Amino acid sequence: MTLAARLAQRGREVGTLLGLVALCLLLSALSPHFLTVSNLLNVMEQTSINAVIAVGMTYVIISGGIDLSVGSLLALAGVLLASGLASGLPPAVAIPLGLLAGAAGGLANGLLVTWGRLPPFIATLGMMSVARGAALLYTEGRPISGFEPGFRVLATGRLLLVPVPVVAAAVVYLVAHFVLTRTRFGRYVYAIGGNPEAARLSGVPVRFHQTMVYALSGVTSGLAAVLLTARLNSAQPIAGIMYELDAIAATVIGGTSLMGGSGTLGGTLIGALIMGVLRNGLNLLGISSFLQQIVIGCVIIVAVLVDSALKRPGR
Amino acid sequence: MRFPGRMVLAVLGVAGLLGCQRGEAPREAGRPRVALVLKTLNSPFFIDMQRGAQAAAANMKVDLVVQAAEREVDVEKQMQIIENLIQTGVKALCVTPSGSKEIVPALVKANHAGIPVVVVDTRVDPKAAAEAGLKTDVFVGSDNYEGGRIAGAHLVAITGGRARVAVLEGIPGHETGDSRLKGFKDAVKDAPGVRILASQTANWERDQGFTVFQNLLQAHPDLDAVFACNDMMALGAVEAIAAAGRTGKVTVIGFDAVEDARKAIAAGAMAASVAQFPSEMGRLAVESAAKLLRGEKPPADQRVRIELVTKDNLAAH
Repeated sequence: MTLAARLAQRGREVGTLLGLVALCLLLSALSPHFLTVSNLLNVMEQTSINAVIAVGMTYVIISGGIDLSVGSLLALAGVLLASGLASGLPPAVAIPLGLLAGAAGGLANGLLVTWGRLPPFIATLGMMSVARGAALLYTEGRPISGFEPGFRVLATGRLLLVPVPVVAAAVVYLVAHFVLTRTRFGRYVYAIGGNPEAARLSGVPVRFHQTMVYALSGVTSGLAAVLLTARLNSAQPIAGIMYELDAIAATVIGGTSLMGGSGTLGGTLIGALIMGVLRNGLNLLGISSFLQQIVIGCVIIVAVLVDSALKRPGR
Repeated sequence: MRFPGRMVLAVLGVAGLLGCQRGEAPREAGRPRVALVLKTLNSPFFIDMQRGAQAAAANMKVDLVVQAAEREVDVEKQMQIIENLIQTGVKALCVTPSGSKEIVPALVKANHAGIPVVVVDTRVDPKAAAEAGLKTDVFVGSDNYEGGRIAGAHLVAITGGRARVAVLEGIPGHETGDSRLKGFKDAVKDAPGVRILASQTANWERDQGFTVFQNLLQAHPDLDAVFACNDMMALGAVEAIAAAGRTGKVTVIGFDAVEDARKAIAAGAMAASVAQFPSEMGRLAVESAAKLLRGEKPPADQRVRIELVTKDNLAAH
C-alpha cells in the first residue's frame, strides 16, 4: 500500500472514531445511565459477538467477496458445540469441534467461490440456507442446554474486571490485525481484493488465499458461536438470524469498501462499537424498537455516503 | 478533512430524531419504574398485553417502560434489552421470554441486581432455572395445556368422535406450543375414532401454515380436521383448504382468537379458536410487580382465563 493510501485509511479510521466519540458524548448528555463503568463494560460485552463475526467479514470484504452465511454457520457451530458439551465432552474438546464446524462451512464457501466460480453472494446465500437447515435438522428445532458450570466462565468470568468475552474479542482483533497488516497472507488479501487479475499475474496463489479467507470467516463465526452459547447458556438452531447484516454494517461503517481492496480491522471494531453503543443508548432512552431500526439504518447509510463522497475523484 | 465534521452532523441528526420521540412515558417524581420486556411489538397479542400493562401502571402509580426486540426469536437481543434496563435502574422486571432456556442467564442478572422478576405468558425452563439458581417471583399466563385440552375436547364433540386430524405445531421447544399440543393430544386420546395422521411445524407463521397444510393435504387427501397451535397457522390452513376446493369439509381449530380468526369463525371457515386474554396478563403482571415493590406477596402462579370461541359465542367476545 502506498503511503498516501495508508494515510487516507488512517484518516478514515480517525473520522469513524470521532463519530463514535460524538455518539458517546451525545448519549452521556441524554441519559445519566450511559457513562458508567458498568454500562460501558455492558456495551462492550454486548458488542463482542458481532465484533468477532465482523473480523471474518472484513477479511472477506477486503478480498472482494461477501459472506451471507455467518449467522447460519454460527447457529450450526453453536448446536454442535452445545451437543458436545451436553453429552459430557470437556470444553477443550467441544470448542474446537464448534470451530471446526464453522471452518468446514467456510471452506465449502471458499471452494464454491474459487473452484466452482460462483459469485460469493450466491455461494454464501446457498450456505446460509444449508447450514441453517442442518442446524435445525440436527436439533429437531429445539434449543440445547445443560452444560457443566465451568463453561459459563466464558460469559460470566472477569479478567481484571474486564468480562471474558471482551478479552476474547480483543485477542481475536489483535491477532487478526497482525495477520492482515504484517504477514504475506494479509498483503495478498488486499491484493486479491484490489485487482485479482493483477494479483494472479504477479504470482499470488489467488484461489488458495480466497478459499482461506472464507474458511477464516467460518472460524470467526464459530468463535462467536462459543461466546453466544456461553452467554445464553444454551444454543438455538435459530440463533444468529440476520447477524450477517450486522457484521456487514459494522464493516462498512468502519470504512471497508464493498468493492474490495481496502479497509482496516480497527475501523471494523469502531463500526461494531458504534452499532453496539447505538443499540444500548436507544434502549437506555426507552426508544421503541421500530425507531431503533430507522436510526441504525440511517447511520449505515450516512457512513457509506460519507465514505463514497470522500473517494470521488477530485478530492 | 471534512469527514469528522460530517460524522458529527450525522450524529446531531440522530440526536434530532431521538429528541422528537422518546418512548418513555413522562416520569413522575417518586414513582418506581417497572419494565415490561415483550417478545415483539409487531403482533396484536403483545400490543394488547402492552395496553393492559399501561392501564395497570396508571392505576398502581408506577412508571412503565415497555421494550421489545426487533425479532421475536432473537433471545440475545432480548437479553441485551434486559441488561440495559438493569443499567437504567428499573425497580422490577416483567418479561415474556423469547426462549424458555436461553433467557435464564439474563434473568439471573436481574436477580443479582436485586430486581424482582415477573414472568409472563411463557414459562422459563424449570431445569435450566434450577441449575442457574434463578429465582422468579411470579408467573402470569394462560394455562396452555388446558387451552389445548378444550380445543381437543371440542374437536371430539363436533366431529362425533370420528376424525382424521392433522396438527400444525409451533416452533419446537417453545413451551407455549408444546403445552397446547400436549393438552390437545391428551384430550383426543380417549376418542379412538380420532386419529392424528400428521403433525408438522409451521413455525407460528401464516404463509408456512398455508404451504405445510397444502402439502399435508397432498399426502392425506382424506383429512377432515386440523388443529393449529396458533391462529396464524390456522388461517394459513384455511387458505390452503380453499385453494384445494375443500372449504367446509375440513374442520379448523386455532388458538389465540385473533381478529382474522374471529372473522373466519363468523364466515364458517374456522370452527373455533381458543381465546387468551393478553391484556389481562399485562394487567396482572404490572400489578404483581407493583405489589412486590410495596413488600406485598402476590400469588406466585397466576392463571389467566381462557375460553373457546365458536360461532355461537362470538358476539360475546
